[in-house]
Order: sequence, then structure tokens, then C-alpha cells
Amino acid sequence: MSMPNLQGRAAWIFKEDDFDIDLIVGIKNIKITDIHELAAVTMTSYDPDFAKSVKKGDLLVGGHNFGYGHPHYPAMRAMRHLGVAGVIAESFSPGFFRGEISMGFPLITCPGIRELTARWDELKVDWEASTVTHVASGRQLPFERLSSVERGTLEAGGFIPYLKARLAKQGETPPLTA
Amino acid sequence: MPQTMTEKILARVAGRPSVRAGEEVLARPDFVIAYDFPGYTDVFFKEAKEEFGVDKVSSPERFVLFIDHMVPATAPKEEELHKVTRQWGKEQGVPVHEREGIGHQVSAELGYATPGAFAVHFDGHVSQLGAFGTLAMGARKSVLETFVSENMALTVPGTVKIELTGTLQPGVMARDVFHHMVRVLGPSSCRFKVVELCGPVIDAMSIEGRQTICGQAMFLGATTMLIAPDAKTLAYAEGRSKIALDPVYPDADAVYDREVTIDVSALAPIVVAPPSPANTRDLSEYAGLEVHTGYLGSCASGRLEDLRAAADVLRGRRIKPGFQLHVVPTSQAIMSQAAREGLISTLVDAGAFISSSSCDYCYGRIATMTDGQRAVSTGTLNTPGRMGSADSEIFICNAAVVAASALEGCIADPRPYLAQAEQARALEGSAA
Repeated sequence: MSMPNLQGRAAWIFKEDDFDIDLIVGIKNIKITDIHELAAVTMTSYDPDFAKSVKKGDLLVGGHNFGYGHPHYPAMRAMRHLGVAGVIAESFSPGFFRGEISMGFPLITCPGIRELTARWDELKVDWEASTVTHVASGRQLPFERLSSVERGTLEAGGFIPYLKARLAKQGETPPLTA
Repeated sequence: MPQTMTEKILARVAGRPSVRAGEEVLARPDFVIAYDFPGYTDVFFKEAKEEFGVDKVSSPERFVLFIDHMVPATAPKEEELHKVTRQWGKEQGVPVHEREGIGHQVSAELGYATPGAFAVHFDGHVSQLGAFGTLAMGARKSVLETFVSENMALTVPGTVKIELTGTLQPGVMARDVFHHMVRVLGPSSCRFKVVELCGPVIDAMSIEGRQTICGQAMFLGATTMLIAPDAKTLAYAEGRSKIALDPVYPDADAVYDREVTIDVSALAPIVVAPPSPANTRDLSEYAGLEVHTGYLGSCASGRLEDLRAAADVLRGRRIKPGFQLHVVPTSQAIMSQAAREGLISTLVDAGAFISSSSCDYCYGRIATMTDGQRAVSTGTLNTPGRMGSADSEIFICNAAVVAASALEGCIADPRPYLAQAEQARALEGSAA
């Protein structure tokens, strides 16, 4: 896989299951489209200093069914703007998963990650080995493999470039191979 | 090879003799359904043209657009979006239905809920077409693929078979059944799966009740939900279906990821308390809690049986002074039928505020709550802030509970009112 591996600190652990990501920017702010305005309200009800302490390449950790509800796009848009490189969760809600993968944003389904990780712990995602490593302890957890479309979308950096490349290359010849 | 309904439908649209859950396929949707919404349709139109150089969608007869959000418009830019949608439809030869009702309902009325068909939308509530044996999936922004190519790549989902057994008690509606399923199985129990719903409770249930349940599939984590067609749904589809297809049934020995049976005989009306659809509770836990506003409508409820139940509760009574009761029939066809049945006058006489069909009440664009207010609602979702201030609360419940709560100004059990209505009907019947 040609994707660069991810390595970064766990900038926040969303411990709760069924987490509604709209809460990251606050429901009242989900209609904001200006990215700077959006970034300014991100995580303020969890940690007012979040925007200051997060740095490029950091990761988020989530519980089961992360992204439950009606997952709107502003929360992760803001997170990307702040430098967050992906989310590692016990599991994801399908709507959220599809939506964010199509943005080219890595989501890693990794059972056990919530227990293993404390805030600011360093984590490493190895795409080739399909593992997440907790750097301090050296412990490794396997993560669920992506479908070829999902993998292709992340490699291309989003659904549009992925689809362009695929349509150009294959002239739509099924079957796809996993 | 034995197959689930999903495997059979996807095999046909992938042009294969059979497919198995977990396989990746290129499938050609029979229908592409969407409503216009900023960031979705306007972006699809633009990206198809500018990024992919596609001026015309392939097989436009597969496409249908609805204008059901931001209806009526309250700002020029909203009307501008609708204008763009109408123009695009005209250029492409794609029908645009507006002011006819909520698209997920109108899709069924117009025949896009063809049994055995495969339909896609960006919005997951399209799953309610599953009530007719249509495999209907929400794919979010990946629906763009159908605007620029004939097919859509997807992984064939596994299936969870849920059988509902027993008999529903009076006053318990489809809405209660769905949220009870979430309570019993868990909000992530069917993640990435299709739910095949069956059993005597479904057999006995109205088409409208089945639409209600299937439309909420996402809150079980499911990709979609569907029910094998029966005489009721086939009769509805006849003369409506957009394409000629053989209905699809699961094979007796189809392979399921999981099979569960839920007995609903003991079920009483529920409420879904804040902050999420994962929080199903017995209504009795919250009975007496003050509420200020009520919403009866949405793609999840607001159909004739919901309006009839509310009318049974409200007939000859007045809602509590100061309480705001909004009733929004799911489509104009439903509104019209409700008027013929006298339901509209019953509801208006009781103090209800009735609007033509629109999605806008469900997400607080109108009838917006302020800080500290609390709603009973048949809308799709109860995340704090969805219907206005982030400091307002939404309790999801069935239509009769909304009506009873409007009378009492607090969360209330509708069953005594429904029993009286039933008695009155019986008396009338014997007098005649």
C-alpha cells in the first residue's frame, strides 16, 4: 500500500459509545461553513485549549459505533484543519464511515484501542501490517481491513480523485477484487 | 446457491448469477433518488460537470429529485438552490417533484419503491422503501458515482434476520416497535448489515407501519432494512412500479450473519429520551415531565395511521393552552386523504397547527425551540439542538403520545384516550 503510515498522539479519547460527532463543534455550529470560525468552536465544550494543544498528525480515539446519529461533515472538516490525521475507534457507524472515507480521511476500526490508549499517548498505524502500535508499551492491535474502494479512496486522497482514476483505468470492468 | 434478498437483488444489478456477502461488486442502481440540499445535489451537479466532464447523466429515467427541504424557502439563497435543481432536472430530463411531500414517502407513491429494485440516495432514511421489498441504501457523497457512471461500487452487505413475534397491544405503534428493537439489540447491533424483517407482527402490520420501521434502519447501525413483499405491498406496487421486475424473496436456507426473534407482546409505548436514538425508555419513566411543543410528522411518521391515532386522542378535546402542536402530514396525498376523512378538522378544532408537507420541522428550520424548551416528536432524531437551541430537548415517541402530551402539557400515555375512542366507535357501530 502506497499510503504513508500514520504516527501521532491521541489528541482526545472519546470514551463514550455511539458518539454523535456533531457535538465536537456543538450542534448550534454545524451550519458554519467558514473553516476558521469552525475551528475556533471545535472541542470547546471538552477542552477549551484543544485547538492550541493539538498538532499536525495527531489522531483521535473513539469507542463503539463512533459517528452515530446524522453525521454531518463540519466536525471532521474542523479536525482536519487543526491537523488531525485520522480516527481510530472500536467501531464506526456506517454513515459516518462512508462519508469521511470519501473525504479521504483515514478511519481505522481497531477493537481494543480505547482500553489501550491514554490521552497524548503516541500511536502508529501501519497500513501494510494492518496494525496499530501503542508506541510506549510496544503493544500491537490488528485493525479491520478496508475494502478495495475504501483503500483506493484513501490512497487517492478522496473519492473524486479515486473515481477519476478508476474510471479512466478500467472502463468499468467488473469484478473488482478485494 | 441459497441467497438472501440483498444477495439476489445485488446479483441482478451486478449482472452476475449470484453474489455473496463480503464481495465487492459494481452494481447498476435501478433508481437514483435525491432531494436538493446545499453541499449535496448542487455539488454533485457541479462536480459531475467540472471534475468528470459529464454533461448528462446516464439513463436519466433512473433519476428522480425532490424538493422537500427548505419548503417554502425563507431566504433568496434557498430559492436559488431550488432554481438550480429545477434547471438541472430540465436539462437532464430528470423529474423534479416539489411540494408533493417528503421524498422518501413520495418515492413510494410514485412507484420508485418497486419490489426487487435497487435504489440509492445520499440520505439513509431512503431505507424505508424496504417496506416494499426494495433494497434502498444511503451512500452519502459516494452517490456522486451514479452521476458520472452507470454503476456504483459497493461491498455486498451481510444480513441480519429479525423476526418479530407476538401481538401488539392497543396503543403500541410501529414507532414503538422500532425503538424497542434498538433497546433489545443495541444501536450498533446491525452495523454495515442489511436487516431482513419478518414475522407475524410484520405480516399483520400496515404498509405505513413497515415504512416507519424500515426508514429508521440507520439507528440500528444498519445499511438498510427490507421486508419480503406480500399481497399488501404487491397490491400497492401494482400500477405504480416504475419498472417491471419480479419480486424477490429470501431462500429458505439463505445464510444470515445473525438471526434473532423478538417477542413484542409485552411492549408498551416508549419514549426515546435525549441525547440520542440509542436511549429507548418506557414512557412510564417520563410520564408527567413537562413539554412545551409537539411535532407530528417527518418521513418516519406523519402518515394516515399516525394522523388517525392523533385524531382519536384529540377528538372533541382541546390541547393545553400555550402548547404548540405542529402536525405535518408526510405527503400532500396523505394530507388530502386526511382531509377527506375529517381528520384535519378534528386536529384543527383541537388546536393543532397544520402545515403542508415539508422536512423542515424535523431539523428545527421552522418551529424552532429556544433554550429550556422540550418537545415530544415523531421526527427522526433527538440529538440536542436538532430542533433549535442546543439547550432544548427532544423526546421521540409515537403519534398518539404526541397528541396525548399536547392535551396534558406533559409526557402522557395515550392509551386511555384511545380506549375511549375505540368505545365510542363500538357504540356508534352498535347504534347503526
